[in-house]
Formats: sequence, C-alpha cells, structure tokens
Amino acid sequence: MTKTELLDLIARHTREILPGLDAHQFIESDRLADLGANSVDRAEIAMLVQESLCLSVSRVELFGPKNIGELADLFLEKLDVA
Amino acid sequence: MSPDLVVTGMGVVSAIGQGKAAFATALLDGKAAFNVMRRPGRQRESAYIGAEIREMAFTPGVARQTLRAASLSAQAALVALEEAWAEARLSDVDPRRTGLIVGGSNIQQRELAQIHESYRDRSAFLRPTYALSFMDSDLCGFCTAQFGIRGLAYTVGGASASGQLAIIQAAQAVSADQVDVCVALGALMDLSYWECHSLRSLGAMGSDRYADEPALACRPFDCDRDGFIFGESCGALVIETAESSRRRGVKPYAALRGWGVAMDGNRNPEPSLEGETRAIQGALGAALLSPEQIDYVNPHGTGSIVGDETELKALHACGLTDAYMNATKSLIGHGLTAAGAVEVIATILQMRAGQLHPTRNLENPIDPTFNWVRNKSIDHPIENALTLSMGFGGINTALCWQRHH
Repeated sequence: MTKTELLDLIARHTREILPGLDAHQFIESDRLADLGANSVDRAEIAMLVQESLCLSVSRVELFGPKNIGELADLFLEKLDVA
Repeated sequence: MSPDLVVTGMGVVSAIGQGKAAFATALLDGKAAFNVMRRPGRQRESAYIGAEIREMAFTPGVARQTLRAASLSAQAALVALEEAWAEARLSDVDPRRTGLIVGGSNIQQRELAQIHESYRDRSAFLRPTYALSFMDSDLCGFCTAQFGIRGLAYTVGGASASGQLAIIQAAQAVSADQVDVCVALGALMDLSYWECHSLRSLGAMGSDRYADEPALACRPFDCDRDGFIFGESCGALVIETAESSRRRGVKPYAALRGWGVAMDGNRNPEPSLEGETRAIQGALGAALLSPEQIDYVNPHGTGSIVGDETELKALHACGLTDAYMNATKSLIGHGLTAAGAVEVIATILQMRAGQLHPTRNLENPIDPTFNWVRNKSIDHPIENALTLSMGFGGINTALCWQRHH
C-alpha cells in the first residue's frame, strides 16, 4: 500500500465519523483535532483504519503522530513489520 | 408536597405521530400502527408484533455527526426534548438551574445486541464509542451536551413505571430547590429479539394468536387479550413551579397535584391489588382529592391477563368507578420505560382538547361497569385526572393532575 492510498483511507474514515468534512481536501499536515475530531472521534477513526488494514496498533503508539501524514507513516511501518 | 408544580412544555414521538399536534390528532382519531416489527435485531425466525416509529424528523440545526453517534433511544430523546424545550422556552433559564431525569434502565438492548453480533468475529476492532454508549447514562451526557444543561442529570429505573418515576423525581428536584426547572424523560425502550422472546415466554408479551391480524393484537381490558404489545415511544415533560413559569411568561398545561409510589415487596411480574391500591390512595391523599373528583383515569392497561384485572379491582377498591377511562396503549402499544411519561402527555393533551380518545379492540370489556371510551372519541372536560403505571419488580406509581386555569 502506498502512502497516498493510506492517506485516502484515513480521509475516508474521517469523513465517515465527521460527515461535515465531505468536501474537505485532506493534506498530510492536517491534524484531526483541528478538523473538529474530539478524542472519541479520533479513537473511532483510528479503529476504522485498523480494521480496514486488518492491523492492530496499541492505543499508546497512536498518541505519537502529530498529523495524518505521520499517522499514515505509522500504519505503513506496522504494515511492513506485519 | 409543593402544591404548585406545573407542566410547561411537552415533547413526544410515537409510532402514530411525532410532536404533540400530530400525536393528539392521531389519538383522538383512534389511529394505530401495529404490524410485524421490522427494525433490524427485533426478529429471529419470529414475527413479533409491535408499533415502530417510521422515521423521525430532526431540526435542520442538528449536526449529522450528532445523529450518526446517537442510538435510537438518544435520537428519540433529542426530538422529544427539543419540542418540550422550545415550548417551555428553557433557553431563558439559567443552565445551572436546569435538570434532566431520564426514566429507564437497560433501554438500548437492541443497539447493544446488534453491536455484539456485528463484532462477534472481529472483537479487536470493536468501536471505542461502545465504552460510552453501553451505559444508559450516555443519554444524560448526550442530552445535556445538546441542550447545555448544567444542573443535574441522572437516570432512574422502575421498569414500566420509569416514565412516571422520572416525573416524580423531577418534581422532587424542583420541590427541593435543587433546580428551577427539570425535564422528565420517558426514554424509548429499544427491545431486541432477546427481550421480545423472553417477555413472550414469560407470558407478559402477547402471543402469536393475532399474527395474521396485527391490528387486533393489542387489546387492553378486552376479554380476548393475552398480553402486552410493544410500541416505541418517548416523551419529555418540563416540570417547574407555577411561580417560575410566571416569571418567564410561560402558560402551564396542568398542575401535578400529588403522587404515590408503592412497592409490593415482590420481584416477580405478578401485580398486587394491595400495592396498586396504596399507590392510588397515596396520590389522591397527597392531592387532597376524593375519588369522586377524578373525572378521567389513564390506566396502565397493558393487555396483560392478570394485570388488567388487578388494575380494575384496585380502581374499584379506591372508589374510582365513575371516572371515564380509555387505554392509550391500545393505540401506541406499550412503551415500557417511556409509557408513564407518554401517557401523561396523552392525558394532558386530552385535558386541553376537552376530548377523550377511543380504545381500540375493546369489544368485550372484562368489566363493562366502568365508564369506557370505546369506539370513538368523546367530548369530556377533564378537571382532575389520575395516571397509573406498574412495573416488574413490584413497583406501582400514580399521579394526580389538575387542569390549569
């Protein structure tokens, strides 16, 4: 999976949780919190992405990434290990 | 007891209508909406009959993400509360002096069963929001967030008496000056297949005798009844003092004159003549009303074989044989946790209309000596009304209402 595909996946699940972002053009530096996702929304988005990837990442590791680009990198790294 | 507690706002959603106007019209027209239930999670090689809400209309201002994360019970609470809130102009009340009592426990059973089923083979990916939504008190969080309530909010459970219990608790919170206004919500009980199955096997829910004629299944107080028929509903009532309503210039619907609560000391579903009688007498005594002064009774009347008989005996024992009576559940089904609140709304709407709604399927009343409203609505001014609820676990509640002049 490419980083672009992973970013698209994150964007898709973010729109699922926050339907108001339907028209938003996601970029790597976007921060979910700045887009209106509260802590529960962020946990939901992360879980949906993990399910789509058939991948389980610990909640602690998910605190690291500062934007969706870094989140995509974390998932890519985990996919490589898997 | 404070003598001047009043209802200043009401909101309702049921299978026969959303909003007071539609609900009142449907009641007085004797409309019903019973069918084999179709909501996902209600059937499993079964054909339980019930009255389901088709779809709810939300105000345009409600964010899509709010609705996406809201259970059916929460969505119904939202529309009922919105209506009551606007009518009572609660935006003019200090949020720290506003409270909410949610009547009902274990109300989101179908939603939970659906989640368990959906994640059975992929439990690692269970949605984190389950940690919030599995608790009934999520409704308190959801509603206080939506309406900015900052006073108190909690749930009270009393099985099928939960709605009335919420009204009593709200009245007590206002009487004790904990808040200036308190909204009582009879929460929508969202039954799953599992509850339907066990309620039927227990003998509480009606059998499949009327499987081919769902419109005939719900028949409180009729000789051919054989159990209650479920109906989705939710109701909200704003309780405050008459003085508080005057300050805001809001005209009350009715006064809550008194209430009674009595336990049977019995875990089982069997009703108790003694407990019901005590609750009714408690309410009449608190209201300083004699039985002759009650001109309308909105009974619990579920269609239960023993329950309906016992209730009529209790009304007899209390001298309440002259009051007019109908059965709201014959039109909307049994809302369980919602029933007490929704039926109080039905009572107050009838009080305002000066009309009483018909009782469907009351072909051969088990006791014809009562003053039944049967096939069509009738004109009848209500000055004082009594509303009753009984729940599993031996809880009985009774409320006395007086028309506001």
